[in-house]
Amino acid sequence: MYLVAHIDQAICSETACRLCTQYCPEANTILYDNAAKTAFVAVDRCKGCEICVGICDDLAKHHAIKMIMITDLKDTFELSKEGFRPESWTGQHP
Amino acid sequence: MSFKNMTITPGWEKYMTKEYVDLVERGPYGKQKKVSEMGSFKEVLEEHPMCAGCAMTLFIRLTMVGLPNPEHTILIGTAGCGRLALTQTSIPFIYGNYGDTNAVASGLKRGLEVRFKDQAKDVVVMAGDGGLADIGFSAVMHSWFRKERFTTIMLDNEVYGNTGGQESGMTERGALLKMAPKGKLFDKMDMIGLAQTSGVAYIARLTPTNPTRVASVVRKAVMIAREVGPTFIQAYTSCNIEYAIPTPKVLDDAREIESKRYGFMEIISDEAKAYLDSIDTSKKAKK
Ligand SMILES: Cc1ncc(C[n+]2csc(CCOP(=O)(O)OP(=O)(O)O)c2C)c(N)n1
Ligand code: SF4
Ligand code: SF4
Ligand code: SF4
Repeated sequence: MYLVAHIDQAICSETACRLCTQYCPEANTILYDNAAKTAFVAVDRCKGCEICVGICDDLAKHHAIKMIMITDLKDTFELSKEGFRPESWTGQHP
Repeated sequence: MSFKNMTITPGWEKYMTKEYVDLVERGPYGKQKKVSEMGSFKEVLEEHPMCAGCAMTLFIRLTMVGLPNPEHTILIGTAGCGRLALTQTSIPFIYGNYGDTNAVASGLKRGLEVRFKDQAKDVVVMAGDGGLADIGFSAVMHSWFRKERFTTIMLDNEVYGNTGGQESGMTERGALLKMAPKGKLFDKMDMIGLAQTSGVAYIARLTPTNPTRVASVVRKAVMIAREVGPTFIQAYTSCNIEYAIPTPKVLDDAREIESKRYGFMEIISDEAKAYLDSIDTSKKAKK
């Protein structure tokens, strides 16, 4: 089992600063939901490095990202299953 | 390649992989994407096996966003960590032998100029410090002396990462590594100074601490190489494995090294500056 980044959307959507997306080393891993104005994580791509946590805590000062055991997450988003389809991202990804 | 070559024949979309369709429909081709739009467009980089939290991975990702015309670009790399990601982009990649990247790039660029007279094709070499400053050193220097029109990007992790931690010419004096257990005895090579001496039109040194800057430096380097002459980017892209940097601290390390000895620096020739100004003015005139 391993940890992946998880974004608290209630906190993130207050500002939706998009900083974490720019610093995640992995491509198309922290995605941006335009409708819900929040970032969210494609768990199949997250390598658990925790860089985004430092960015959200220290640079953005929003504390919206935590590392969570993958088995403790429900209804995760996987890019390999769903593809990159922003028009279908409407806040349903927890 | 060109965007036309990539587009899917009508009716065949359902037979193509999701990733391919997404790339064609929601990728960066023909519309320069900004760093601030990351997370909202399909990137040219796919999944790859580079280590978790690797700063080199981040730098490569940002470089792909900075490329002015990914659909008209060819990447050249070689053995070393970077090619593990570079081969997973939708940009044609040539795997040069370790040492000959800049010789391959020279021939390729000249060939493209003959073959595609009406379409600028960008050639970008991306390889490690070992690949460019040690084993590929002479090919790099000669491509600069000959004023070959392509961009060389050094992914400087200050070690041979892919082969388990040997020192390179770019390793700092005194650095202790698995295969340099007594500490390196010599100074880090001054590739920036060598680039200046050999007349490189645009030289930049940076770290990935500022994503927008990475993309803008890459864009400038590629544009200048198109019209003026060779360009060189030297990027600190730490190896968290060989330097034992905990991954959550990778960017703290980059900030620290940046403030101590790897500050952002740009050296631009008068001709290159005039060229950049001219594209700026023509862009403004269009608006
Ligand atoms: C001619 C030749 N010599 C040696 C090697 C073995 N080799 C593969 S990767 C590598 C080191 C790569 O170091 P660097 O270029 O700094 O890239 P990094 O892996 O650190 O990103 C070496 C020596 C090779 N592939 N070809
Ligand atoms: S850094 Fe934090 S607040 Fe900003 S977009 Fe990312 S998760 Fe949301
Ligand atoms: S933990 Fe690392 S790989 Fe995962 S989303 Fe955060 S920055 Fe990206
Ligand atoms: S060995 Fe070092 S440079 Fe290579 S992918 Fe891993 S962390 Fe990055």
